[in-house]
Amino acid sequence: MLHYAFMQHAFLAGTLVAIMSGAIGVFVIARNLSFIAHTFSHIGFSGAAFSVLAGWNPIGGLLLFSIASAFAIGGFGVKLFRREVTISVVLSLFLGLGLLFLSMSAKKATAMTALLFGSVVGISRDNVIEIVCLSAAVLVVFAFFYKPLKFDSFDPAGAQAARLPVRLLSIGFLLLLAVAVSEAILIVGALLVFTLLTAPAAAARHMTHSVARMMLWSAAFGVLGVWGGLVLSYYTNAPVSFYITALETLFYFAALSWGRLRERRSPEPAASRA
Amino acid sequence: MNPLAVISPAPASPRAERATETATAAALIAQHIDVHLGGRSILNDVSFHVDSGEFLGILGPNGAGKTTLFRVLLQLIKPQSGSIAFPRPVEAGHTAIGYVPQARQIDPELPLHAWDFVALGLPHAIRPWLNRRDRASVQAALDLAGAAQLARKSIGRLSGGEKQRVFLAQALVRNPHLLLLDEPTSNLDPGAQEEMAAVIDRVRRERNIAVLLISHDVNLVNRYADRILYLTPRHYAVGTVDEVMQTSVLQRLYGSSVDVLRVEGKLLVTISSDPVPAICRH
Ligand SMILES: Nc1ncnc2c1ncn2[C@@H]1O[C@H](COP(=O)(O)OP(=O)(O)OP(=O)(O)O)[C@@H](O)[C@H]1O
Ligand SMILES: [Mg+2]
Repeated sequence: MLHYAFMQHAFLAGTLVAIMSGAIGVFVIARNLSFIAHTFSHIGFSGAAFSVLAGWNPIGGLLLFSIASAFAIGGFGVKLFRREVTISVVLSLFLGLGLLFLSMSAKKATAMTALLFGSVVGISRDNVIEIVCLSAAVLVVFAFFYKPLKFDSFDPAGAQAARLPVRLLSIGFLLLLAVAVSEAILIVGALLVFTLLTAPAAAARHMTHSVARMMLWSAAFGVLGVWGGLVLSYYTNAPVSFYITALETLFYFAALSWGRLRERRSPEPAASRA
Repeated sequence: MNPLAVISPAPASPRAERATETATAAALIAQHIDVHLGGRSILNDVSFHVDSGEFLGILGPNGAGKTTLFRVLLQLIKPQSGSIAFPRPVEAGHTAIGYVPQARQIDPELPLHAWDFVALGLPHAIRPWLNRRDRASVQAALDLAGAAQLARKSIGRLSGGEKQRVFLAQALVRNPHLLLLDEPTSNLDPGAQEEMAAVIDRVRRERNIAVLLISHDVNLVNRYADRILYLTPRHYAVGTVDEVMQTSVLQRLYGSSVDVLRVEGKLLVTISSDPVPAICRH
């Protein structure tokens, strides 16, 4: 299986994106941004569709549209875009726009499914290089902002009390999220970004109490899902994205049950620290 | 000078002079603070100072501008005029202000342990990992706030009083020179209020931290505060409890007839708002 170049590319790109999305996802959930991530994915979809129409590289349009919208959302304030009404309006507008762009281009059918549902096995060497560079950039910036971002995400009142630059952090995180969503679209498609961005992180919340370990678990769930999806799809011919979503769902409910079970077994762990 | 401001019977000037003479002893000097919000004047020419290790209780009715004053000190609101100075130099590993906000929503499902919640507040800016010193100062802050036994519990599941201690520990882990506490004892039962006040009192003595505490409990403040700042929507007074908690002073602050009663060493403030006299249990 791994002697095919396309599988190598898929594994490499999928792993990187899963790690990055898993780590960022923990913060997406803590900051209540799940549906803003979903909105980003639809905006990204229309950007990618625009690229297809304009004959650009899809990632160009994706990044352009999602980063522009990160600034817009940050500028108007995240609160406005957390409202379901705003989300539903913006999301449908951009899905419609994507449809328009694709209908105007020649190769609409293949591009449409690839963008909406992912095309991880169609990833080229160049795409892999782009993904490596983007993920590395995101992780470096993320590591740099990790400490204040963690404070602001898990205790916004405390972060404001400590006079952290909360607005800057908010916009900065939206930018990271925009890039992460763009990459996730390349793997699982615009409609399924939840699969990589929120499902592994949601599962990780039930596994541990520390943010760093949550990120590790979340990345691990993401990577396992992508690997499992690629292998299963290789042997059965069903779409990769289906398997990834199925596995992530499985992980989520398994983690949920495990968390419940553990809580019932030992009401509170003994108060001691190594 | 604002003619409406009520200055405490104790002459304010000698204290102010002392504060400027020995500038290192003062932790905070606020002068002539004016704040307007939404077209309304909230703080009107407020001046006071707090020394290192001093406990200043802040009293006043709802809407008097107590929280607003804290936000001004934190520079979250810019006053229309006036100046605020923090004369103590801030060494590395310290911060000027630790603040425990009035209302803080914590998601009950938040999976963080109290220990990690306190560690969020550590004062270093960027370094993503914790070193041994960090761990020691988190532990010290938890011990100081009397929250050591809560360290391994989920923050979302703690009781209101337990949460307040963890919040206090998070403010303390920043090694502040000045601690701003906005009603840390509301929602606590009388025993827990007393414990919390005692913890705060110990903190400021052990670490020489100046404490500004907003409360509606005159007697709690009376027991622990060195001085009080009494704010009403238009006036204020600063001084020791005995200086401020007098019928004549409060009458000027409220502009209506107020009685301060002393019953068995306890203070009771009654405000007669026509036509029904009401007892205001600050
Ligand atoms: N951002 C704002 N814009 C306009 N008015 C404000 C703003 N923030 C506070 N106020 C007003 O300022 C006044 C003082 O508010 P503040 O929160 O400081 O009162 P407080 O003394 O803390 O009262 P409480 O005891 O109820 O906490 C209130 O009348 C409030 O409506
Ligand atoms: Mg208040």
